[in-house]
Amino acid sequence: MSKATPRASNAPKQRLAEDGGASFPLSSSLRKLSLQQQQSADSPSDICNVCKSSRYLNPNMRFLVNPECYHKMCESCVDRIFSHGPAPCPIAGCKRTLRKVKFRSQTFEDLKVEREVDIRRRVAKVMNKQESDFENLLDYNNYLETVEEMTWNLILEIDVPETNRKLKLFEAAQKAELNPNATFRPIDDQPNTSTLSDTSHVVLKKGGTQRKALATSFGDPFGGDDMAGGKDTGFVFKGLKKREAPKPESPFDPFDGWSVDAEHYNLQDNYDHQWIQNFKTDPEYYAGGWIQKDYWNRMMMEALGGMAIFIEDEIVARENAASGDAGVGTENAAGAALGGKDVDMMDVF
Amino acid sequence: MGASPAVSPRPGLPPAKPSANASIKAKTLAILNNSRAIGAPDGLSRATSPGGDAQDLAEQMNDDVRNQFVAGTKLGEGTYAVVYRGHFREDPTKLVAIKKMKLNVEYRDGITMDSYREMKYLQELSHPNIISLFAVFTSKDQNISLVLEHLPKGDLEGLWKDSKISYTREDIKAWSAMLCQAVWFCHENYILHRDIKGNNVLIAADNTLKLADFGLARSFSEPGRNMTCNVITRFYRPPELLLGAMHYGGCVDVWSTACVIAELATRNFFLPSETDLQQLTVITDLFGSPTEADWPGVSSLRHWEVNFKSAPPKRPQPLSHWKQRLPLMGEDGIDLLRAMMAMDPSKRLSARETLKHPYWTNMPRPTKKENLPGMGGGEQKMGEDLKRPGGQIDSGRTDKVARKLDFGGK
Repeated sequence: MSKATPRASNAPKQRLAEDGGASFPLSSSLRKLSLQQQQSADSPSDICNVCKSSRYLNPNMRFLVNPECYHKMCESCVDRIFSHGPAPCPIAGCKRTLRKVKFRSQTFEDLKVEREVDIRRRVAKVMNKQESDFENLLDYNNYLETVEEMTWNLILEIDVPETNRKLKLFEAAQKAELNPNATFRPIDDQPNTSTLSDTSHVVLKKGGTQRKALATSFGDPFGGDDMAGGKDTGFVFKGLKKREAPKPESPFDPFDGWSVDAEHYNLQDNYDHQWIQNFKTDPEYYAGGWIQKDYWNRMMMEALGGMAIFIEDEIVARENAASGDAGVGTENAAGAALGGKDVDMMDVF
Repeated sequence: MGASPAVSPRPGLPPAKPSANASIKAKTLAILNNSRAIGAPDGLSRATSPGGDAQDLAEQMNDDVRNQFVAGTKLGEGTYAVVYRGHFREDPTKLVAIKKMKLNVEYRDGITMDSYREMKYLQELSHPNIISLFAVFTSKDQNISLVLEHLPKGDLEGLWKDSKISYTREDIKAWSAMLCQAVWFCHENYILHRDIKGNNVLIAADNTLKLADFGLARSFSEPGRNMTCNVITRFYRPPELLLGAMHYGGCVDVWSTACVIAELATRNFFLPSETDLQQLTVITDLFGSPTEADWPGVSSLRHWEVNFKSAPPKRPQPLSHWKQRLPLMGEDGIDLLRAMMAMDPSKRLSARETLKHPYWTNMPRPTKKENLPGMGGGEQKMGEDLKRPGGQIDSGRTDKVARKLDFGGK
């Protein structure tokens, strides 16, 4: 162990010296940034900062971090300190309140990276516009620039409350736009929202606020316009396409839009004809399900169904259909391509 | 006249470079030339040279149609037809199924009844839920080929038989609606399908159901003409046909449709039987024996005496039996099915009334086409289905026996 530590601390320095001249200034600064995490050689990552027990004595030790402050401590310390509810971080100088559920084992060796990934994930979840949402590439790039700026603000802890407030407002505006019928808890602009206890929120939600919110959302179905003008949505992006609400589904039509009702004649219930009356009273016919009305209908259709239909119009319509959508009208297309009438399917035989 | 070589001197051989446009030009030229005097300019007269004479206009038109398609691999072969996969020559992405009818021993001199009916009715019906017939042509050996839609996702029977596919009541409603639309459209055009069954309802690539196999179809009958009662595959045959009715209407198809829907809901055959006689027993077990009171005129049907004269009357199964058997249909669905399967055909719903039933508009809404489950049996299944003659169940020795129609002489 004691042998390993000097080597670990020496190696990066050596490498830095080796390629310090050749590397780009940005990458070298990034590396420096990450190297700072390596702390001093005296406190290797195998010793818990809280209870000072080391992996040497307890090989099964696991280290956990809380994304609130990213201070690393061992599992048994987490159990000991946070089992009875939220407690302040035991690391000296850190007064943040931590909860046990938020503790997790780190994904990246470097806690700076871990934190940056977390922040990026959080920002990306809110600011999830895509290029197709924008009018042109320039607007999209401007948007990306804003996102990156927000992200770095959070990473480097510049102007954090303002950035967080903007993100929250933007998220709420997005949600409201996605689902205009849903009711949302109005977000307080004041930063003291966080000081309110959780129970007070619950009371508010169950109480009159929700109903009020409902009423307003019904009163003003096009809240989007209002929001762009009056309310603060956190960010205003240029060139953002307006989201079109999907049309409400029309009721299911079992006939799927088809209709074959007669246009030029009315079918009567009965036609007085001696020949057909005989079949009406013949049990062989009515017991077998032969329906007289079907026969009347067919006779009328065959006699009058072609009225007011002009073959010229049909041909023009068919050719239009063929040129429009060949996939559907393959049959039409074939007919039209072959001159319209001489090789229609009817005439193949 | 660069197009004239397209008129091939030998009728059997397709033109060397058969693009549709070239062949049209060639054809119109040929027609023009035939009507003209011999003293035409050199370029034109070449088309009327011996090559043009060897092939008459009908053959030429047939070739033109045939050359629009390219036949590919064989999908299935039966005693009745061979099914190939094919595509349009102009656009290889547009697939078709080419059903080549075999010459039938009984119909050596003409077209078989099945192919004739299929051509006659499919060319008139154009509906999204009915298989479309793109073209018909004959080949060298005078076999008729029907160019049908390519439906690669199997059939409805394969769907419920495949235990890997799970579906819900919304899916059943969506499929049933498409099937009922197809039947309704046939009936509105006065065509009886007469062989509706799960095997004959194929599924297109976009999950649309397509009613296929019009080999037993016919138009609604005129009064005074007998129709055969020996149609419709046994499991799906309504009681009036089993009793030998020779004058019937669209209600026979409605019964079969109801059977198919019930099959979907139970994932089993709904009224399976071994013989035609047993089929009637199976039906009366469920619906009770028909009497003059609830089916006026039933005793005058040909086979009534044999079946019911001396048999003890049976009582219909109660509603609870249906609910237990078809839990996926719901109350309204069971109501619909029972109305579609009324024993008395004149009390049965017509196809139009079927679609007006509240079942369709009630909740739950049918699944959208693109969300319907299923992978189906694929192309092979379509090959199997299209090659089979109508009115038969897949298994059993009768597969190989040519169909005999009973035109019901008393």
